Amino acid sequence: MNQRDIERWIETEISRRRLLRQAGAGVTALSFASFLAACGDDDGGIEGGGGDQSADIPVIEKGEISDQLNFSNWPLYIDKDSPTTLDKFEREYGTKVKYTEEVNDNVEFFGKVRQIYDRGDSGGRDLHVVTDWMASKMKQLGYVQRLDKSELPNVEANLIASLKSPGFDPEREFAIPWQSGFAAIIYRKDLVGGALKSVNDIFDAKFEGKVTMLTEMRDTVGLVMLGDGANPAEDSTEPALEAIEKIEQAQKSGQIRRFTGNDYTRDLLKGDAVMSFGWSGDAIALQADNPNIDVFLPPEGFMLWSDNMQIPVGAPNAYTAQKFMDFVYQPEIAAGIAAYVNYITPVEGTQEALAKTDPELAESPLIFPSPEDLERSYIFRELSAEEDRELSDAFQRATGA
Amino acid sequence: MLQRHKGLLPWLLLGPGLAWLVLFFLVPLYYMGRVSLFEGSDLEGFEFTWHFQTYLDAFDAYQTQFGRSLLYAGAATAIAFAIGYPLAYVIALRGGRWRNTLLLLVILPFFTTYLVRTLAWETILDDRSVVVDTLKALGLVADDGRVLATTGAVIAGLTYNFLPFMILPLYAAIERIDRAMLEAAYDLYASRRQVFLRVTLPLSMPGVVAGVLLTFIPAAGDFVNAELLGSPQQTMIGNVIQSRYLEVTDYPTAAALSFMLMGLILVMIAIWARIAGTESLMGAEAK
Repeated sequence: MNQRDIERWIETEISRRRLLRQAGAGVTALSFASFLAACGDDDGGIEGGGGDQSADIPVIEKGEISDQLNFSNWPLYIDKDSPTTLDKFEREYGTKVKYTEEVNDNVEFFGKVRQIYDRGDSGGRDLHVVTDWMASKMKQLGYVQRLDKSELPNVEANLIASLKSPGFDPEREFAIPWQSGFAAIIYRKDLVGGALKSVNDIFDAKFEGKVTMLTEMRDTVGLVMLGDGANPAEDSTEPALEAIEKIEQAQKSGQIRRFTGNDYTRDLLKGDAVMSFGWSGDAIALQADNPNIDVFLPPEGFMLWSDNMQIPVGAPNAYTAQKFMDFVYQPEIAAGIAAYVNYITPVEGTQEALAKTDPELAESPLIFPSPEDLERSYIFRELSAEEDRELSDAFQRATGA
Repeated sequence: MLQRHKGLLPWLLLGPGLAWLVLFFLVPLYYMGRVSLFEGSDLEGFEFTWHFQTYLDAFDAYQTQFGRSLLYAGAATAIAFAIGYPLAYVIALRGGRWRNTLLLLVILPFFTTYLVRTLAWETILDDRSVVVDTLKALGLVADDGRVLATTGAVIAGLTYNFLPFMILPLYAAIERIDRAMLEAAYDLYASRRQVFLRVTLPLSMPGVVAGVLLTFIPAAGDFVNAELLGSPQQTMIGNVIQSRYLEVTDYPTAAALSFMLMGLILVMIAIWARIAGTESLMGAEAK
């Protein structure tokens, strides 16, 4: 046996052992578990565990391209004009992609899949897309498969440098970026009256009850920290807790109307909010509805996040899913997606490809930010489980719930 | 043979209901109770440790939201009763041939889902809506004021959403009252006021008890109205449970809060049943 075969043998043994262990536990739990799953309250799923479990996860084996692929993504997060990216993938590989818009919120999605992922079952999913910190959590819990980098030449060649080595996955073995974006201020030019100058304008008493912030903790807390002169990419939890305190005060005084997910766009369009912490990709779509809506990238800085594709353990078509990851890293394909979703694309060369089909959009600083803008953007630093709990807990209380 | 059937039949009839109760109420209840005594986090793993401290901490941290839930649910129940009783009374006793149509109108909103109806209110009441402009013109809302994202909007939403639960049992109870009783009261020279207070109202008490319970219980645990029609200053205990469970994934606290809410409601029901169930008390009030 050569080296490769030995590795393969070890991997299959390990995965089989995992499987047997799970099957053994499964038999005793089966009768009860099925009832409890129906009640949505299976505490067997949340008990035990702990530690980073990604070390045991084997690399995805080479295999055949399957004729189906199940892709779970966020709403409005892929192009819809024919021929779509999914059509092109089907044309090239003969694989029909079943695309489900079932991720509305990282934690909500986590709550939905936790029990089955914990059993080593993906519920039929081959690919899901979640934000950095949730991708990190999925990895640590051992819920996602290790990628075979030799099968991802386009990713290797075209992934933009700034995203090549994130803290939670330095080798990009468990998560490949789907799209990135800025969290900044989105506002109504006509209702704010004058130009914005700082992140802290959101705390201006003039706008009492007319501003919203995001329920996504890292975005909201990161932006407030920047307004305080702190650095969310490096600082300890101390300034983060101070920022949360500041948010809580503003909430109690009635400054903040709501904490929202994507639905802040509704408040802005209706004029119930005059400025919101929001996501850059929404701004371009919102401008089409109301030209008075604009993005403000605060001089103090703003947050940069990425959503990542991951292949859950137990995915029926893991090899094909990996193929798909590589497929979307061709600049022409990425251009098709970027033209529709308007977020920052992680694929090098997309701007040139998009310039051929939509030269105006190819100039958008929100899809292709300038190096200066990127320099002012911050990625919230990796939090330990303990820190994450402390901050999430404080932040939830600050939001009034 | 016949004897054996007699022994078995009640159990056969009880069976489905009993199985349902055990499976979908007792088993989840047991597991929720267990989860509430866990310690840990989802990354480090949870462990069952009889950690009762969670209850104390949770109550300490969320007193405001508990108070708010009971207050809002109480207010919504009172308003629903004030609107619902006259309506049920008129439909039951004066409805005539319109009775079924009127009842249908009461139930009609149920044909659309609860969430969609509440979202509709969010649009109707938004800051630049015609409704709010009119209220401002009438001086009912301050010029720089708003309706959406206020306590009033949340209580109004709760009242609107649970009103049919109040009206239907009231209607059933009032409709069941034997008209001969009312006639007898008039024959004994009771005034209309006396007939209502000493005959109609006491006889409709089962409906009042049922209506109040059916409105108050879901309203106290509701989180949709506070989420869509309120601001962070209107969050109710349901919102906290939702965010603890799904946002923070702090299952023990979420489970403990659910248990406390259930306990609190049970205590209030017990008190209410004692008050409302004692006829002498109603009689004393009528004098």
